[in-house]
Order: sequence, then structure tokens, then C-alpha cells
Amino acid sequence: MSGKVKKTLAGTEKDHADPEEFDLEKMEKETEEMLRLRFITKENAVFERTEGGFVSMEIEGEIYPRVQVYRSFPFTDPDAYISIREPDEKAKEIGVIKNLRKDVSKETRQMLEEQLRLRYFTPKIEKIINIKDEYGFAYFDVLTDHGACRFTIHMGGGSVVNLSDTRLMITDLDGNRFEIVDVTKLSAPELKKLDLFL
Amino acid sequence: MELLFELPRQLKELLRLDRGEDIKYCVPYDIAEDGSLGEAGYIVVTPRRLFITAGNQLAYEWKLEELEKIKCEPLVNNGILLVKEYKQDYEKRVARFTMHHLTRISFAAKGAERLRDKNYRPVNAKEREKTCLKCGRALPGTKKCPKCDGRLVTVTKFWNLVKDYKLGLLLMFLFSGGTTILNLYIPEYQKHYVDNILKTKSGTAQDVLTFVGVMLALTIALVIAEVLKNWWFVSLGARLCMDIRRKMYHKIQELSLSFITDKRPGELMNRVSQDTRMIQRFMQECFGHMFSCIITMVGAIAIMLSMNVTMTLVSVVFLPIVFIISTAFRKNIHKRFHLQWVKSDKINSSLQDVISGMRVVKSFGKEQEESEKFDQLSEEFAAVQQRNEIFWASLYPVLTFVMSMGIYFVLYLGGRNVLGGEMTVGTLMQFSAYAWMLYGPLGWMTHLPRMITQMVTSLERICDVLDEEPLIINKENAIDHEIKGDVEFKNVSFGYRSYEPVLEKIDLKVKRGEMIGLVGASGTGKSTMINLIMHLYEVDDGELLIDGHNINDLNIEKYHSQLGVVLQETFLFSGTIYNNIRFAKPDATEEEIIHASKMANAHDFICKTPDGYNTYVGEHGHNLSGGERQRIAIARAILNDPKLLILDEATSSLDTESEYLIQKALERLTKGRTTFAIAHRLSTLHGADRLVVIDGHSIAEVGTHNELMEKKGIYYKLVTAQLQMQKLKEEKEEALGA
Repeated sequence: MSGKVKKTLAGTEKDHADPEEFDLEKMEKETEEMLRLRFITKENAVFERTEGGFVSMEIEGEIYPRVQVYRSFPFTDPDAYISIREPDEKAKEIGVIKNLRKDVSKETRQMLEEQLRLRYFTPKIEKIINIKDEYGFAYFDVLTDHGACRFTIHMGGGSVVNLSDTRLMITDLDGNRFEIVDVTKLSAPELKKLDLFL
Repeated sequence: MELLFELPRQLKELLRLDRGEDIKYCVPYDIAEDGSLGEAGYIVVTPRRLFITAGNQLAYEWKLEELEKIKCEPLVNNGILLVKEYKQDYEKRVARFTMHHLTRISFAAKGAERLRDKNYRPVNAKEREKTCLKCGRALPGTKKCPKCDGRLVTVTKFWNLVKDYKLGLLLMFLFSGGTTILNLYIPEYQKHYVDNILKTKSGTAQDVLTFVGVMLALTIALVIAEVLKNWWFVSLGARLCMDIRRKMYHKIQELSLSFITDKRPGELMNRVSQDTRMIQRFMQECFGHMFSCIITMVGAIAIMLSMNVTMTLVSVVFLPIVFIISTAFRKNIHKRFHLQWVKSDKINSSLQDVISGMRVVKSFGKEQEESEKFDQLSEEFAAVQQRNEIFWASLYPVLTFVMSMGIYFVLYLGGRNVLGGEMTVGTLMQFSAYAWMLYGPLGWMTHLPRMITQMVTSLERICDVLDEEPLIINKENAIDHEIKGDVEFKNVSFGYRSYEPVLEKIDLKVKRGEMIGLVGASGTGKSTMINLIMHLYEVDDGELLIDGHNINDLNIEKYHSQLGVVLQETFLFSGTIYNNIRFAKPDATEEEIIHASKMANAHDFICKTPDGYNTYVGEHGHNLSGGERQRIAIARAILNDPKLLILDEATSSLDTESEYLIQKALERLTKGRTTFAIAHRLSTLHGADRLVVIDGHSIAEVGTHNELMEKKGIYYKLVTAQLQMQKLKEEKEEALGA
């Protein structure tokens, strides 16, 4: 059986001159590139704010009219290892800023922080005005650091997640996420209302 | 999903629309420039222009033809709308919104791009709203809001479900009425006995016996009546439930695939089993009992009023208090039980995790930690449970006491009346008997609102399925067409969600008998093309022609009966091998089946199994190897003698012998039939007449194997990469062998 399969291989080889060498090298090169962790610093890259409200970057001769800014550890280390990626669907990584506070200039940091604020939108609940529960759904009326808000969550597991012992993440029906940074800082009546979910 | 919101008048005036320029899409966005939440503005699309309002002003306005790109980009927990004008070389962000509007705005953006391309086909937003747009309540997975619909609509729906059982329901009332009358009569008879015989001491032992005898007879009659009534309720409930379940099952089979795939996997099952059970419970426990209670209460109060108005009033005066107390506590009780449920759920999850992951726990030596965690959860649960039970144990007697406090006043007033000669002892006894009869039903009635609401929700979910119209139905004059095998894709575009196209502008002409191999990286749309050919979904744009007819014009059942399908995941039903192969053609003879098996290279291994063709293959055909299941699936497809064959190859590699046998079987199967194959094996690729390479939502290359290899394009890369892998594998095997 394996003999037959080999013959087919041989058949294709005849038509084309040494495709294997070419392919293998190229594949190896690509995989090597994926491994590479390129650090971006103020020395090798220049960022500029575009008129459209985004950020462009020039690094070692490569020009990117728009880049996307991602956090690698949004919860535990928000200013470290900021990944700068291409703006299309594939979002290939161009490079990484190891420490946003140290490795780039103040203006660049402000620009990138603006982009990060755009990308990561998690309102932090400052005050719980009311929680009403009805037939398996809970209706929240809260005050967040982005303004007043009302949302509905599905009671029954999954909607309220403990990121840590005091930090909660609440996901509503639409997929919006709200954060309670420190549960212990809430007032007693608020805690009582929240009791059902803790 | 709503895509045309009502634009406030002063904003509409700002737009200064021309005559005949209608608003096609209008969706709000809710994050303002400074990041604050709230109704920030609207995105308005007309056939010619795109507007964005912010607050009370017009923030942006463009003619659609000026815009190269209108795109909704999802970010983390929010999204932005960006546009790119032709005359500028940068993208511009123009609106920002939360997840609540993300899907809506994606549709609107797609709609705007379509209008710009002068495509006037409206965007079909099939997704459902999560909350009711009118009252803000969460929708339980239905299209319409149970609360907003109004009582009348709900009652109509309920009536539609039960109207076939009119006679049964009537009997239900008669039974209830009968038992109630019996119940109400007994105290009357007692009074008669007490007053006329015991009191006056004018009776004989005979009379006492008569009394006891009659009472016994009445009680037995009552018991029999109750049994009959309950039996009838239960049987009616069960039959009704079965009827609804059957209707739902049929409906689900009729409905299009998108209805099923749009929902969470267990949800439809829940609707068929649990929601129908809720209705059953309602009928059994609630509906009939409700009428018994009402009749009893009305009857009792009527008789009591006819006897003594003051005392009647006194006995009911405490009831409102009880009602208030139990309503006040209802929330508390609900919270307590919910908390208990949450804790018990945590314990269950933890148990499940640890027991199924026991291997990991042991290998990392974490038994102690897990034990401690579990101990704590158990303690919390026990504490909550204890508190709840104590609470309930304390509350219930108190409530019962308060409720029946009226009886003491009744006895006091009644006692005075008897002593004063205005009332006989028997009457007093009768009266207090009726008063007691009130309290039971009233207490039960406090549960009623909750049960009714639960029932209404289940009712909505059931009617949602029953009322749904299947998307893909036979047109009025559907053609019963004998497929010859010419298939043509004409400018076809399709997306499971209309704003995210999986296939764009596909043009392909396939002659009858041709074998087409579909190639491409995973997720590029190969399975989608096959779904469209199988008419499981309908194209969003363009036409799919079978022998020159639009596929939507053909009779669906007839079309499907001429298709043959061999899928990646071989799904065999629980049944015998014989039944599984016969599935394609139930009236096939045994010889036909053996022929089909032989062609599929399956006959030999089937005969080797202990029961031959009668071997039972359990759920998903567990007892067979992957290669054997594939061959049974091929036999099934061959038996059908399909005109159009769909082949979705398994990617997992099997042992070489199975590979060869399957390869041969497939060759026999595809000979002379128009075949669409998602090909992974080189052998299949070689065998194909033409290969179609899909890349980035459209067809990148078309041609024979040799033509495409010469092109050195995407196909070339795919094939050489695979050859490389194979060569490396073989070299390794040889090295190991040596």
C-alpha cells in the first residue's frame, strides 16, 4: 500500500523542479518569525495619531498607517506587554511594548492609552441603586464611572464571575461586562441586594 | 431584530431629507465621545446618505457614494463604527456603542454598504432581541414579550392549546362542582343531627345509627368523588401534555435548520420536555383545583352570609392581614430559597469537577486542598439550609394561627348567640365548619400568582415554536424536479449572520457528472457551500441554479430525496446496521443492501461481526471503528442512488488499509454523479475533475490538479505542504523501523 502512495508522490515530483526545498525553507522561516518577540521602544518606533482617531506607527523602515493596541494581561498587568498588531482580521503581531510606562515617551503613552480606553470598555460599578429580580432575571440599576446604566442579567450561574475574592465581573444578556472592583467597599444595603449573587 | 427606530422629530428635521428619501435604517448608539453611557445619538441610513447625530446636532453627513468602507468593528465589550472616504487615505472612527447595539449596527453598516452598491435588497436581521423594546423585561427566548402582549392574547393562546379538550374540561368542572356540593352539604346534615336529635334528646339509638350510617355513606361518596376528580385531572393533564409535545416535535422537524442552530443546544429540548411539563403541572395541580377552591369559597361564604352576616364578616376580617403578611414575606422566601439553590449548585459543580478530574487532582497531590474547599462549601450550604428551615418552621405556624384567629372571634360571638337563644348549637357547629373550609383554599390561593406566571412563560415558549413559520418552505407551485446534475452558482453571497458574509460573489458552473473538489484553509466556507447546495440555508444574494431552475423553486422533499450525503462526522442512529443502511431507502431489498455494502467495501467487515447486518450499533455507532462507520455511511449513500452527491471528508487519517478501501469505495460512489467533495486526501484531489480553491470568502482558483499546480498559487502551496508533511512522516517511520 505505501508503495502505491509513494508512486503518486513521485508522479507529482516529476512535473515540478524541486518544490520541497523551497517550501520547507519558507515554512521554517515563517515559523521562526512567529516565535520572535520584537520589543518596541521609543528608540525604534514612532507613533502618530491619525486624523481618523487611530494611531499609525513607523518601525525600522516599516510603515503601518493604522495599528491596533492590545493588552496581554488586561486584569493582572494592564501596562505590560502591550501588543501592537496589524489592523486587519488576521491581526498579526508587529511588536510588543514591554512596559508602557517606561519604554515609550509620554505623548506616545497618552496616545496609546487613548486607544486602549477605546478598545477595553468595562464600566466599573460605583454605586448600586437597585436590583430587582423577576422570574430568573435580575434587573440592575447602577451608577458607573461612565455614567448611569441599567442592565439585565440572567440569574442562574455564569453571569457573575469572581475574578478574585473581592473583584466581580458581571455579564449581562447582551454580553456587556461590568466590574465591581472591590465588593467590600460597597455599603451594607448594597451588599444585601447583591447577596443573591455572591 | 429592530433596525428602524423612531427618530425624534427635531433630529429628523436636522437631516433635511429630500422628498422620497426614506430612512431605511435608524439605530441608536450609546457611548458618547467622552466615554459616558447613554443615548448618545443615532446612525441613520437613507438610500443616498449616511448621517450620524450626536445629542441635538448633526455630527456627520456623507453621500453613500463618497464612502469606500462602512464597517462595524467589535472591540472588547464595545464596538466602533468606522468609515473610510474615497478621497482620504485613513479610516475614521465615528460612533461608539455597547454590546447592546453591536449586532444592530453591524446590520445597519452592511445595509448602508449594500445601498451604496445600489443593491436594494434589505438586510435580513434574523437575530432576536434579548430584552423587550417596550417594557425592558428580558425575553425568555421568544419573539414577543409575554408581559406586553397582554392578558387577552395569553388567554387566547392558552385556549388554542386546550380547545380540543373542551369536553374533558367540562367534565373537570362537573367533578369539581360535585365534590364541592358534597363538601358543603355535610355540615348541614351534621347541624340537622345535632339540633334535632342530640340536643332535644328526642332521638333513639336508631337515629344515631342512621346518622352514623349516612355520614359514613356521605364520606365514602366524597372520597370516591375526590379520587375520580383527581384521576380525571391527572389523565387530562397527561394527555394534553402529550398532545402538545407531539405538536412541538413535528413542528421542530418542519422548521429550518437555522431555527435550531440559532438556539442554545439544550434549549429546544427543554422546551419540548420541561415547558410542556409545566403546562401539565398547571393543568393538574392548579387549574382544576383553582375552580374547586373558588366554588367552595363562594358557596361557603354565601351560606355563611345567609346564616349570620356579622359572624361572616368577623371570620374573614383576618384574611387580608394574612394576605399582606404572606405577600411581604414572599420576596424574602424567594431570596432564601434562591440562595440555597445557588449554594447547592456550587457544591454540585465542585463535586463534579473533582470527581471527573480526579486524575489531575491526584497527580498534583491536591486532595487535601480540595477537601478543605469542599468542606467550606458544605458548611455554607448547611448554614443556609438550617436558617431557611428554621425560618419556615417558625413562620408557617404563625401564619396559620393568624389566619384562623378569626375562628376564636366566631366562637365567642357564636357562643353568645347560642346562650342568648338566637342560634342553635348545630348552627354554630355548621358555621365554624364552613369558616374552616375557607382558610385552606385561601392559603393555597396565595401561590396562584407565581404558578400562573410560570405557566404563562412556558406557554409563550411553546407557542413561540408552534407559531414559527419555517423559513424554507415549498413555494406555491414548487416543481417536482428530477435532478440531472447541472449546478450553477450565480453571484452568490451568504452569511449565517447577514452582516458577516461567509461567501461573497461566488460564480461557478458545474456540468453533470463532474466531480468538484472544494479546497481551502479551514473556516473559509467550504461547508457553507455544501449547506447551500443541500438547501439547508437560502442564499442572501445571487442565485443557485439546479439544471437551470432556481433551487428555491424546487420541491424540497423531492430534491432532498435525490441527494446523497456522506459527512465528516458519521452519524449512525441507534439501531442495527441493516436499519442504518436502509435509512436512505426503507423499501430496499436485502440484495440491494448487500450490493451497496459490497460497493462500499463494507460487506466483509459487516459479515465478520457476530450478528452480521443485524448487529446493533449503539448511540453514534460506538462499537465500530471510524473507517467502518465511514463505509457504512457510503453504503447508505450508494443505496439511495443519488443524482447529486455531497462528500465532506474526514480529516483524521485512518490506517492505510481502511484508507485504501474507502478511497476505492468513494471512487465507485462518485462515478458518473455530480459530486461536491470537501477534499483533504490527495487521492480525492487527484480524482476530481476540477478543483475549486476558496480563500477569503470567494473563489480564488479553479482548474484541474495539473493546471493549478502549474499556477504555483494557493493550491500549489497547500499540496506541497501536505506532501512535505507526508514525506517527513514516512522518513521518520523508516528511521524508527531501521
